[in-house]
Amino acid sequence: MRRFGTMRWFAVALVSMLTFAACTFGGEEGGGGNGGGGGGGGEGEAVTLTMWAHRSRSFNAAIRNAMRAYEAEHPNVTLELETFDYDTLIQTLQTALPAGNAPDIIHMFGTWTCSYKDFLAPVPEDVVTPTDAQQVFFPGPLGGFTCGDVLYGLPEESNVEYGATLVNTAMADQAGMATDGWATWDEFIADAKKMAVIEDGAITRAGYHFTAGDGLAHSFLSLILQGGGSYLNEDGTAFTLNTPEGKRALTLLKSMVDQQIIDPVIYNDEQNWVGDCYFTELCAMGLVGPWAVADYKDDYPEIAANTIYLELPPLEDSKEFIADSGWGMSVSTDSPNADTAWDFATFAALDAENAAAWNLTSGTLPALVENGEGAAKDKLVSEFPYFETWFTILPNARFVGQLPDRDRLYYEIIYNHALAAFEGLETVDEALQLMESEANDTFG
Amino acid sequence: MSEAIGIRSGRRWFGGREGAQKRFVAAVTLPTVAFMAVFSVLPIVWAFALAFFDFSPRRAGTPLLGLGGDNPFVGLEHFREMLDTSVDQSVQVSQFHTALKVTLAFAFLVVPLNLAITLPLAAMIESVHQRAKPVFRTVFFLPVLASSVGVAIIWGFVLHPQNGLLNGIIRSITGKTTQIGWITDPTLVFLGIPVALIAVIVAYLWQDIGYNLVIFIAALQAIPQSVKDAARVDGASAWQTFRHITLPLLAPTILLASILTMISAFQVFDLFQVMTDGGPQDQTHALSLDIYREAFRYQKMGWAAAVSVVLFAIVFVISLAQTRLLRSRWEY
Repeated sequence: MRRFGTMRWFAVALVSMLTFAACTFGGEEGGGGNGGGGGGGGEGEAVTLTMWAHRSRSFNAAIRNAMRAYEAEHPNVTLELETFDYDTLIQTLQTALPAGNAPDIIHMFGTWTCSYKDFLAPVPEDVVTPTDAQQVFFPGPLGGFTCGDVLYGLPEESNVEYGATLVNTAMADQAGMATDGWATWDEFIADAKKMAVIEDGAITRAGYHFTAGDGLAHSFLSLILQGGGSYLNEDGTAFTLNTPEGKRALTLLKSMVDQQIIDPVIYNDEQNWVGDCYFTELCAMGLVGPWAVADYKDDYPEIAANTIYLELPPLEDSKEFIADSGWGMSVSTDSPNADTAWDFATFAALDAENAAAWNLTSGTLPALVENGEGAAKDKLVSEFPYFETWFTILPNARFVGQLPDRDRLYYEIIYNHALAAFEGLETVDEALQLMESEANDTFG
Repeated sequence: MSEAIGIRSGRRWFGGREGAQKRFVAAVTLPTVAFMAVFSVLPIVWAFALAFFDFSPRRAGTPLLGLGGDNPFVGLEHFREMLDTSVDQSVQVSQFHTALKVTLAFAFLVVPLNLAITLPLAAMIESVHQRAKPVFRTVFFLPVLASSVGVAIIWGFVLHPQNGLLNGIIRSITGKTTQIGWITDPTLVFLGIPVALIAVIVAYLWQDIGYNLVIFIAALQAIPQSVKDAARVDGASAWQTFRHITLPLLAPTILLASILTMISAFQVFDLFQVMTDGGPQDQTHALSLDIYREAFRYQKMGWAAAVSVVLFAIVFVISLAQTRLLRSRWEY
């Protein structure tokens, strides 16, 4: 026995460590479950909740405001916010959720939610039932958080990226452009051309920036809808991009590049991203939602003061456009304090006043129907005028749908092939054909 | 008899000076071995295991490490798919093929370029005055100490189409507005190599040459002066001495430098990610970036693990081939 002693202990220690490490790698389901919980009461045991969110100055400030307000009402609860940049949040969620190391609350992008539903707690019936939620939230944001008949989070934002464009009114005045909107795409293109600046054949100021990943995907899919087509088949099991409507949409977008409104080689997702481009005055108009204004306005107050949103022209009579689900609050199945977590989520996302405060700070359109109508809507517009155009067009927004791999479709497939078509590396037909076959691969 | 051996062996471990030494060795080795086992061996084993599953961290799978169930065992299916060259191959397969080509081009350009720059540079630095040597060594080694992300950002600024230094210089020379998208224009190609890839290679070499330079300087200093003196006495010129004396004696160092450079070239990630994010049109979509995207952006962890295994195999085979080809027949 003794002769193997030290070696055996050595081996046992090593194997124990490996086993421990292996066990923390993944597979543990459920974790702490939904129960337990310190409840939402104000005088219970001390509870500390952790929340993860993507890094954004305005979004994070909005969340922290909600946290401090909740803590003031519930002195026993401490809320801690940990932020990650967009890509890191995705990676961290992927590793933490299966490993059972997720925080109590996750600020989840609605369109991702169903991908993670195995690790998310359904919204308790006493918070809101899926049926009641349909009356409480707009269909767009709710769609992302609803998987089958189950609701996995409380939406806070109606995410919009298409439908209206940022317009620099000072540049518009300089170019002699009226800022009363456009009835047709020809009118729009003519004005965008007026605002573009070309020196020695190089576009030094883009007339209209739509060639970032989100902008391009939202434009393309929305224009398909407006042209009377559909990007998904009837039962949502295949993409239908290589269609006459798809060709018309991509041809229209390409025509803006051909007419030197923008050069996608210089203005894209990697360089001169639309927010940077617009607020550094390298773009006169830009396709991005109002959240970008909230993010940039403190650094560029003069540009923000000269900024308005104008509605984009329709392709046909239809003004429909696609919208992602937007950000909201989900509770992980690992949370040992799920009751308190849901209480905070309810406080932040279901209480109309708190939800409106969150929307104002983050520059996002409300997910709550109550805040999108009447006096509440007017109050939001008066405090953040950039909302005005968006509220007008919000009824035209359609939830993009449950896509098998939204990020790959947007940023890898549509983005790459549309740019290839714009840059003459692929014809419009080739680009559409490749887009459709690659997009259908994502169904697996 | 066996009991006697057992007692003696036990004494070796628990008694006497020999035992104390062994206990000391075990005590100081255990943390390192455990660290390596947990943070190196286990992830490698895990990656190899995942390569045989259609694993996505979004799916719960079975309680056994999340494998099985919704994350099914697929055997060699990922590797079979990688060999698919048909026109209707999936997007992840075509991305893998692109990444493989980009990575091979990058590695096989970087290694000879690196050696072609560092070796003569090391010889030149060795030939300057003793007091000037540390200055040159420091200047060329400084970029090695810089963060790769910082290097990528700085090169991004240099190559920026509107505000970049390079376009600024061209603008000041030509007097014309110049907005060349050095790292964003897919139509820019030089000798069949995309300019965006060349830009990443330049940034990589700028950062990396200092490392090999120091290795070569150390190797040059280790070559006995007497061997070079003997050559000179025999009438050899400086070039002949370098070509027929120094270079052969440096062969083991060249082998080491080329293997290390090749391995690191296959693993470069941050420059690709920050400078170009794989663009334009996947012209700089390297294998490391492909693995990262498949695993962490598209949640195809099983597929990404299989690509990692392929990358490991490529690096292993190339390193082995380099070892054989460049094996030195010289000793000093």
